[in-house]
Amino acid sequence: MIVAKNLNKTYNNGNVEALKDVSVEIADGAFVVILGASGSGKSTLMNVLSGLEKADSGQVTISGQSLTEMNDKSLTEFRRKNISFVFQQYYLLHHLNVENNVKMGANLAKNSEYMPLIEALGLQSKLKSKPCELSGGEQQRVCIARALAKKPSILFLDEPTGALDEKTGRGVLDCIVKEKEKLGFTMIMVTHNQNIAEMAQIVVKMNSGKIVDMFANDKQKNVYEIGW
Amino acid sequence: MTISLKDCVKLTGIVIVCFCAVFVCTFFLSFYLDVLPLRDSVTAETLPLYDAQIATAQMCCAVTGGVLTLISVIMLIFYVKLYVDTHAKELGTLKALGYSNRRLAMDFVIFGVSVFIGCALGFGCGYASAPFIYEQLTIEGMSVNVNFHVELLFALVIAPTVVFSALAALIASVALRRPALNIIRGIKKIKISKTKVHNNKKRTFVVEMALKTVSANKLLTFFVAFSCFCFSAMVQMGASMENLVSGTMGWMILVIGLVLALTSAFMALTSLLKNNAKTIALMKTMGYALYERTTAVFIGFIPFALLGFALGTAYQYGLLSLMINLIFKNVNEVPDYTFNVNVMFITLAAFIAVYTAISAIYVAKLNKVSVKEIMLEN
Repeated sequence: MIVAKNLNKTYNNGNVEALKDVSVEIADGAFVVILGASGSGKSTLMNVLSGLEKADSGQVTISGQSLTEMNDKSLTEFRRKNISFVFQQYYLLHHLNVENNVKMGANLAKNSEYMPLIEALGLQSKLKSKPCELSGGEQQRVCIARALAKKPSILFLDEPTGALDEKTGRGVLDCIVKEKEKLGFTMIMVTHNQNIAEMAQIVVKMNSGKIVDMFANDKQKNVYEIGW
Repeated sequence: MTISLKDCVKLTGIVIVCFCAVFVCTFFLSFYLDVLPLRDSVTAETLPLYDAQIATAQMCCAVTGGVLTLISVIMLIFYVKLYVDTHAKELGTLKALGYSNRRLAMDFVIFGVSVFIGCALGFGCGYASAPFIYEQLTIEGMSVNVNFHVELLFALVIAPTVVFSALAALIASVALRRPALNIIRGIKKIKISKTKVHNNKKRTFVVEMALKTVSANKLLTFFVAFSCFCFSAMVQMGASMENLVSGTMGWMILVIGLVLALTSAFMALTSLLKNNAKTIALMKTMGYALYERTTAVFIGFIPFALLGFALGTAYQYGLLSLMINLIFKNVNEVPDYTFNVNVMFITLAAFIAVYTAISAIYVAKLNKVSVKEIMLEN
């Protein structure tokens, strides 16, 4: 269970209020989409929930452990054991090939069985390729493989299809959802695409640093049922 | 105009190396030119010492000038490439707009300013300290006056500035010889993947990362080795010089060695941290502990540091043996030279202490690399 209470966060010496008294609870294994326009505070909320950033005030607790009270070392250790990320810009290491990029995640979970994951994501023929030799969709799938090879209990995704075309984007989302169904981790996705929100169990809508709406979808659509 | 004078000031590595090279060459060449016409006035008794001093001046100029010129060229290549990499978007966009490689490369001529600053300062300081150095080198009973040689100004300040400016433009034009889009995206050369035969060595992932870091930063291995080479060679040579020639010469060599060693070390480590900021931030984001991040970034360079130290030890022994046993062999009252094991071990201990302290500073810096750094990219 992820519990955030009264989170406040400002930038530029308090001139930009990124989060204003935000509170949210997320159950284990849930698929949550944080929806909002650019500058709404959704990425800041993700960063604070994942321990990448600290809020100015408020509390974040994950499975009973308070992230707010952890120092940098403990937060790093916590992320090591529990959290994975998929970024819009992939952030693959260009001097490592596909296998080594995935190993970067697998190594942390002492997971030597990462090959089925690579195969499931259709990357087996690209094992020795460097990121610059891959298409955007392939790079994003490597990023997903790296994140999942770590066997996280929570997966944070920051606009994972933001840099992809429709066909590739749908393919990438399909991969992620299938892996979530298989492994059962909690998934928190930040996006500005309202259509993707129809796939989630819970939708958190943000605007100007505040949660303006939060609801559960009656029926979760699959990636090929939603618009783009 | 993409490069400003402010960018040139940042090339402190080149300024310091040029300063050291020209400083040493100025007083030795000036001494050589001032002493050469006095050969007829030298007595038969002091002729061997005179010849030895002439040979020493020639050798010191050739070795110091040669080695440091080579280092300056490598540093220039490093800085130009670094500038192209860090300003890839700007340069790639200009190229996409229609600026030719030649036009963009011409801007790099301004890098010669840093060479000029280093050479001019070295030349000035070399002449300022010449009277003092002459005292150490001059043979008893012989009076040598310091004369200004305009040809040295040309050879040690003007010519290097012109040559290095042209070289900077040439290196830049080679570095820019890629499609504009590849420059913007930071793609250097797409290597065709080769299926490698897997060896049986079981390495941990972090050690594998360390090896990849080294292979991705090959030029830095040179600077790490050079830094340790300078430390080892100049500290040991400085200590031996104190016994063989004079304490002043010993201290001078020691200071020059330490300046070169620390400059190269800081340059290499700063670049290493900058080049790997994304890797470090990503590793931290994923949960890699500090010791794992440190291992992945720094540990692969230790063999090069030790190699540099060993080469430095061999170099100083070879050079001093050559001087004592060959150049000064006919000169009376020159003490014997043997390899000083104690000095080597003391230097090794100092080397470990200094480089551990420097590494500690950079490990602390590494720990401060923000995990948000990668989130803010693009």
